Amino acid sequence: MSTTLTPPDAQDATRRQQAMDEDAASARRDRRAAVIRYLGMPVFLLLVLLGLYLWVTSQELDSIEARTLTLDSLLGQTQQHITLTLYSTFFVLLLAVPLGILATRPKLRRYAPAIIGLGNAGQAIPSLGLLALLFYIFRTQPALPSTGTFPVVVSLVGYSFLPILRNTMVGLDQVDRFVLEAGRGMGMSNRKVLRSIELPLAVPVVLAGVRTALVLNVGTAALAFLFGGGGLGETIFSGFQLRRTPVLLTGAILVAVLALLVDYIAGLIEEKLTPKGL
Amino acid sequence: MAFFTEYLADPSTQRELLSQTAEHIYLTAVPVLIAVILGLGLGITAHRSPQLRSPILSVVSTFLTIPSLALFALLIPIVGIGATPAIIALTLYALLPIVRNTVSGLFSVDRAVVESAKGMGMSATMRLWKIELPNAWPVMLAGVRVATLLTVGIAAIAALVGGPGLGQEIFTGIRRIPAAGSLESLLGGTVAIVLLAILFDLLYLAIGRLTIPRGIRE
Repeated sequence: MSTTLTPPDAQDATRRQQAMDEDAASARRDRRAAVIRYLGMPVFLLLVLLGLYLWVTSQELDSIEARTLTLDSLLGQTQQHITLTLYSTFFVLLLAVPLGILATRPKLRRYAPAIIGLGNAGQAIPSLGLLALLFYIFRTQPALPSTGTFPVVVSLVGYSFLPILRNTMVGLDQVDRFVLEAGRGMGMSNRKVLRSIELPLAVPVVLAGVRTALVLNVGTAALAFLFGGGGLGETIFSGFQLRRTPVLLTGAILVAVLALLVDYIAGLIEEKLTPKGL
Repeated sequence: MAFFTEYLADPSTQRELLSQTAEHIYLTAVPVLIAVILGLGLGITAHRSPQLRSPILSVVSTFLTIPSLALFALLIPIVGIGATPAIIALTLYALLPIVRNTVSGLFSVDRAVVESAKGMGMSATMRLWKIELPNAWPVMLAGVRVATLLTVGIAAIAALVGGPGLGQEIFTGIRRIPAAGSLESLLGGTVAIVLLAILFDLLYLAIGRLTIPRGIRE
């Protein structure tokens, strides 16, 4: 039917109808996308764990494999891994976020590019080398504790400190200058600008920092076994050294699943806590 | 510092560090090159197709979430011990910065410029190669640079599961902590990797100078 013959109102109505159909279709698509987004990852991880369990139990495990792959030791290592991740994330945020806020204050701002540059340069230091050097200090200074969780957590914090500091500063720097100027123009003091504009606008930056720190630390915690800190890296490494594929794969899959789960949960928290307007 | 110069003066250390440096360069350059080729394709696809954009970006960022030791270990039963699992894993890690920057580089190209190229009668392929990619190149190159920096550092971890490279020297040191000689190995491997990262950075500076068209240089 030619549109010129249709009265304008009817034309409008068809267009509106079409638009509504499209809206409904896109809403359905959105809902489906949302379901995949929220449930896709946990379902996928559960299937991976189930597959791993079925595969390992179907294998004839020799005595070494059976001894390494006990539920007790795997759960113990998982718990150590999570403890290391949470402690190091907590302490790195406690140090790096306030320092990042401090370093972007007007009085200290001229040092900000230097600190961000240092953060960039710090990326060139390999995690393995930096962790080992920090741990070496603990082992060789008699005044410091040389075993247990503490030196490992300090090493993890030492490794993730610069990236988190840098991300915080870059994020705060991106808080719109015009908004700040508007605040100042309204007669707000520096402290008021910080409290009622910069900090609320910086919430996403901090939340992104939490997520980055968690993901970074869950990964480096896989190296904690090298320094007597335990964690799931232990199973990967003994699987490699003993040439036992079931052990190697169990360790690797558990570490990967843990990391993806941590990232997923951190992503959910990030989404929930970010102020609606942003 | 005397202990460190003594360590560096030892011919066997020099041989070791040099061959491991060569391996480390190989372990960095090959994955980055593969990732550039794959990432360019994925980036262009993600830029073209809104449906594929978020799946592509979320898959490549998922790779980076998987801890390196776990990814190296996952690949060993499939491809064996040695450089291969490391090269595959490092390629997957290098993809995210390259794909992300290719997409944002292509989006940063001024639509008016692309439109006028269209008006001049350029085909879609010609527009991509003559207009869009050259204009997006500085951002893409920055992505390749970040990917290289990432790869140089993570490559060290390959040594824990039988891979080559400077990680071996660090790992030797770790196994000997706190015995004499362990600090030298830790420092030797770490400093060599940092120097390598700086050299790669200078290389990218030079590549930028040579390949970024004068008209869009900052």
